[in-house]
Amino acid sequence: MTLFKKKPAGERNERRDWYKLDLSAIVYPTLQRRDFSSVYRLSVVLKEEIKPDLLQRAVDLTLPRFPTYKAAIRKGLFWRYLEPNSRPGPFVQKDVKNPCQPMYFKANNRYLVRFYYYRNRISLEAHHSLGDGTGGMCVLMTVTAVYLRLLGHGEIESGGFVLNIAEAPDKEELEDAYMKYANAKVCPPRPAEKTYRVRGTKEPFYTLNIIDGIMSVKQVLSVAKKYNATMTEYLNAVLLHALLTKQEKDWHIRLKPVRIAMPVNLRRFFPSKTLRNFITMIYPGVDPRLGEYSFEEIVEEVRNYMRFYVNEKHLRGDITTNAATQRNPLIRVVPLFVKDFVVRQFYTKVQDKNSSAGLTNMGALKVPEGMKPYIERFDIYMGQPFSTRTNCAIISYEDILTVNFASSIIEADVERYFFRKLVQDGIHVKIESNREMIAE
Amino acid sequence: MSYCVNCGVELSTGQEMCPLCNTPVINPKDLSKGKEAFPFPKEKGQVETVKRKDLGFLVSAVVLATAITCGLLNLLVFNKTAWSLAVIGVCVILWVILVPVVIYTKQSIYVSVFFDGVSVAVYLYMLAYMIRRDDWLWGLGLPIVLLLTVLTEVFILCVRRLPKSFLTIALYVFTAIGIGCVGLEILIDLYVNGVIEILWSAVVVTVCVIVDITIITMLSRRRLRNAVRRRLHF
Repeated sequence: MTLFKKKPAGERNERRDWYKLDLSAIVYPTLQRRDFSSVYRLSVVLKEEIKPDLLQRAVDLTLPRFPTYKAAIRKGLFWRYLEPNSRPGPFVQKDVKNPCQPMYFKANNRYLVRFYYYRNRISLEAHHSLGDGTGGMCVLMTVTAVYLRLLGHGEIESGGFVLNIAEAPDKEELEDAYMKYANAKVCPPRPAEKTYRVRGTKEPFYTLNIIDGIMSVKQVLSVAKKYNATMTEYLNAVLLHALLTKQEKDWHIRLKPVRIAMPVNLRRFFPSKTLRNFITMIYPGVDPRLGEYSFEEIVEEVRNYMRFYVNEKHLRGDITTNAATQRNPLIRVVPLFVKDFVVRQFYTKVQDKNSSAGLTNMGALKVPEGMKPYIERFDIYMGQPFSTRTNCAIISYEDILTVNFASSIIEADVERYFFRKLVQDGIHVKIESNREMIAE
Repeated sequence: MSYCVNCGVELSTGQEMCPLCNTPVINPKDLSKGKEAFPFPKEKGQVETVKRKDLGFLVSAVVLATAITCGLLNLLVFNKTAWSLAVIGVCVILWVILVPVVIYTKQSIYVSVFFDGVSVAVYLYMLAYMIRRDDWLWGLGLPIVLLLTVLTEVFILCVRRLPKSFLTIALYVFTAIGIGCVGLEILIDLYVNGVIEILWSAVVVTVCVIVDITIITMLSRRRLRNAVRRRLHF
């Protein structure tokens, strides 16, 4: 009789031995190739050198607090899923020159996170199927806080991105928030127009070229204000300007629209504590076929687009469109390998061609007061782009703004036009890069 | 602190060239380079390979179980002929082929192909022993295995050591097909008639030579080569 005895509801929900992939996470594993994984990297630069043994202890203590990060991805008949991973690891390792390497699901003891250290820097690399930048940042900040406490800085309190590792994970942290809010009465169509693609010479397996631009938040804000734009709008416009210049200078038969794929953090509009993916894409852009755009006009286009689309109503419509495919019973019964094939084809032929570059802005990071004296800055990398293009990620902390470009092509034209425009606007930019330049 | 004269950006210490425009950084007041630490590690990381020990163990167990059970069945029940040798031989070939895939992934491809050839030769020997007739083995079977093994090894050598592109690989494939067919006909002729009389393989060689000449022409003309690459890129 005890075998079939029903447990109380609370008890039943506490023990989870698998998790469905969220709506975004379904796509990332299907794009997996031998030379590509959807891996992003978050780094924190501290003010003192990292001690690897303490960092390993911090990781070991922290990761059980994040069950969806201490997980392995598995294949079911119809969908993939996450299951808790009790194998040893993940182990901290010395950083490498070529970050965001492909992450094979069966390697690394099946972990989908990696921790690196290099001088003062702690880096976390995570597969996008586990969660988005906000979730990853929670993991990194909590690991950093635990590490600093182990170093003897006991005054660091939890709060914001730093979670209390003694607490059990909240149910809401593990939920698929998309399904909660995908309830619009209509599914607006997705934009689907071929855009300008950056042409370039592919780097050999496996190289990720990084160019970081470090600048002052105040300076960028004052310049953005001159154009009557927010910082995101201004930097978006600068990237569009760089892409337009690149297109004009390259050989072309006809001009194509230039558009940027930009993830929007939905937590700003829909209350959710989820540590999994909760983002949607918007596509600000300009169409040079309509005529030549001055920089001011690009800023205006971006500002109008953002202010029109980035609101709760439009975003709800967008996630409802995305959720509709997953909810469709006919699609649900199709075996996984067929879904994989269809999704990959759709992504390669439509979605990837929908934008010329990627840009993400994590915004201004807040850390607990006790942590501030030990942190210098943060870095974020969108990882290797799926096709030959450049991905740009922005993050700011206190007065330091970092713009991190990651690409797997040799040419750095887009980056050059981008940073030169900032310099022209009077912003002081400091460049760091992992590129090994060849003397001509 | 250095600035790129071309882009106007400040460059991190240790940077010898501007990462944006490749302009060298020359500070006449400080010519000592590389003293400062580089902001990124210099060592490249390797992608971790997937360990397939469990799969290797499973494959070995299944192959071994098949071979042993068939051997016992042959020994104890259906024991008129040594039929189990055919099954055991296939198990050996399968296992040898799967070793570099699931068990020892670091094995050199040349060694793998050599062992594949040896396992096929052993299988043929087992078949000859089973049917109690071995003239075909020495006259035809083993020479063909030897020819194909050598051709495969040379093909792999060419692909790995010589310039590799869509066109060059096509060149190696067609050359290998041509040589393989001629060799095959010579061996068959020697076994069947005792004299070499090349017929059908001459047709294959003619086609292969035409294709090879076309490819070589394309390879030697850069514009032609680029046009083909553009149209056939994938």
